Amino acid sequence: MLIEKYIYLAIALFCIGIVGVLARRNAIIIFMCIELMLNAVNLLLVAFSKMHHAAAVAKGATAGIEGQLFVFFIMVVAAAEVSVGLAIIVMMYRNTHSVDVNFLNRLKH
Amino acid sequence: MTNLQLLALLPFMVLATAAVVVILLIAFKQSHTVIQVTGFFMMCAVVLAMWFVRDTLPREVPPLLVVDGLAALFTGLIIFSVLVVGLLSYIYFEEREENPKEYYILLFLATLGAAVLTISRHFISFFIGLELLSVSLYALIAYLRNRNNAIEAGVKYLMLAALTSAFLLFGMALIYMETGSMEFTAIGNAITKSGTSVLFLMGIGLIVVAIGFKLALVPFHLWAADVYQGAPAPVTAFIATVSKIGVFAVFVRFAQAIHLHENALAVTVLTVIAIACMIAGNVLALMQQNIKRLLAYSSIAHFGYLLVAFLSGDAGVGAGVFYLLAYSITLLSAFGIITLLSTRRKDADELSGYRGLFWRNPLMAAIFTVALLSLAGIPLTAGFPAKFFILTVGVQQHMWLLAVVLVLTSVIGLYYYLRIISTLFASPPLSPAKEKSLHPLFYAATYTSLVVLMFLLAWLGIFPGFIIDNVQEFLVIR
Repeated sequence: MLIEKYIYLAIALFCIGIVGVLARRNAIIIFMCIELMLNAVNLLLVAFSKMHHAAAVAKGATAGIEGQLFVFFIMVVAAAEVSVGLAIIVMMYRNTHSVDVNFLNRLKH
Repeated sequence: MTNLQLLALLPFMVLATAAVVVILLIAFKQSHTVIQVTGFFMMCAVVLAMWFVRDTLPREVPPLLVVDGLAALFTGLIIFSVLVVGLLSYIYFEEREENPKEYYILLFLATLGAAVLTISRHFISFFIGLELLSVSLYALIAYLRNRNNAIEAGVKYLMLAALTSAFLLFGMALIYMETGSMEFTAIGNAITKSGTSVLFLMGIGLIVVAIGFKLALVPFHLWAADVYQGAPAPVTAFIATVSKIGVFAVFVRFAQAIHLHENALAVTVLTVIAIACMIAGNVLALMQQNIKRLLAYSSIAHFGYLLVAFLSGDAGVGAGVFYLLAYSITLLSAFGIITLLSTRRKDADELSGYRGLFWRNPLMAAIFTVALLSLAGIPLTAGFPAKFFILTVGVQQHMWLLAVVLVLTSVIGLYYYLRIISTLFASPPLSPAKEKSLHPLFYAATYTSLVVLMFLLAWLGIFPGFIIDNVQEFLVIR
């Protein structure tokens, strides 16, 4: 399997995430799009890790599991980020009775 | 892991323990004062631990961490800033919030994140440190939840920081693909062997985007003014000093490892960013009537100056550290004054509120004046030798364009700093002074520390040689 295909898929997912963040006004959907971007990176890391591992095994060495390790760290951190983030979004809903980020314009320019 | 490696990590373990100790104190229903005093002593314990382990440096803890002179310098700066921020937090939160205690857990965790950044030499520790810092910061910014603006600032920071950490990870993944390693030095070795490819440069670019966001460099600075204005004053001081010092430390280490200064494209991009920072920061600050927003724009400009030292390569690191020291002391004393003047309902961020401060409270006005003069880089304050050292290394490396822009924009900066100072000495409006109900001991402690900061600024301004020699001595440990 060619590594390029994984790269194209990951870049497509990442771009869908960016477009979602820029285009949508709902705080929760923006957050979902950021999660999509993080998962695109996870996919990429696992694919690269497999690639480097296969190359190392072919040479008789052991290497290339760092990428898979990193994925676990990313998953844990993303979960922590979501829990804090949703708490803040709940507080925002209590104050403005909406999760629309367009309401966030009180700090003056 | 050997004993010596564990010993070298002792200060960071003490720092992690500080957060746990605060959690336990809250579980046993201790008062805000007890937590504050314990937190203060825990930070002193971190400083003692750093003094204790100084002979074991430098020490590598493969694969994630390395404790060397650079890390010791930046960690020292971070701990010093947190000591002052902690002190400011007491009088700020005691009268505003019914639950000020959990604040200290978040504060110490964010500090731990910044400290981990200074010792990281691997993408995993870089990412963990950065997220520890920013996840704590989301909650810290939105801590005063009954004020609409705090929530707004929190949501803005949350969305943008989460977005940029995704960019950071994508950049790391691309670099991992090209080099097959996540360790800074191994990446450096791999690219000297095989040269840089397009995907590798894309990866570096994405990482620079994330770092630029954290340091509020132009064009990733859009969050800075809103978050500075909306966050509680001590948290703003924290963002302006601790979080930026940590991120700058890891940036310096990463750039040294992968020889970023030898890559013409990266140097050009960073030069453009530095010039944009200096110009945009100073011009945007010109018409600002809100002190916290003004300090946000001024910190954008200051990180533009700092990038000049960064671009000078290894020669500029000492000047950069000295600049960060002068900048942190200056900003902490400025935010100290803002904290002292803030009332229960809102922070003292309108420039009109400072009118005639000198006639009401000469000491505060004196501290604020010295801080502003230091930000402007007037001789006899710390800001002058700091800027002078940066200009010197810039000229030594023949970066004439950056040096000229630095000097010209500093002149623009002078205008708005002097405008605030002239407001301080204007005739006061007829408003009665507000009475505060806190124990005078804490006011005395805060005033004393602010006066000490003011004398430090003057001392650094007149005798910078002692500090710069010590900094150079530390930087040799690697």
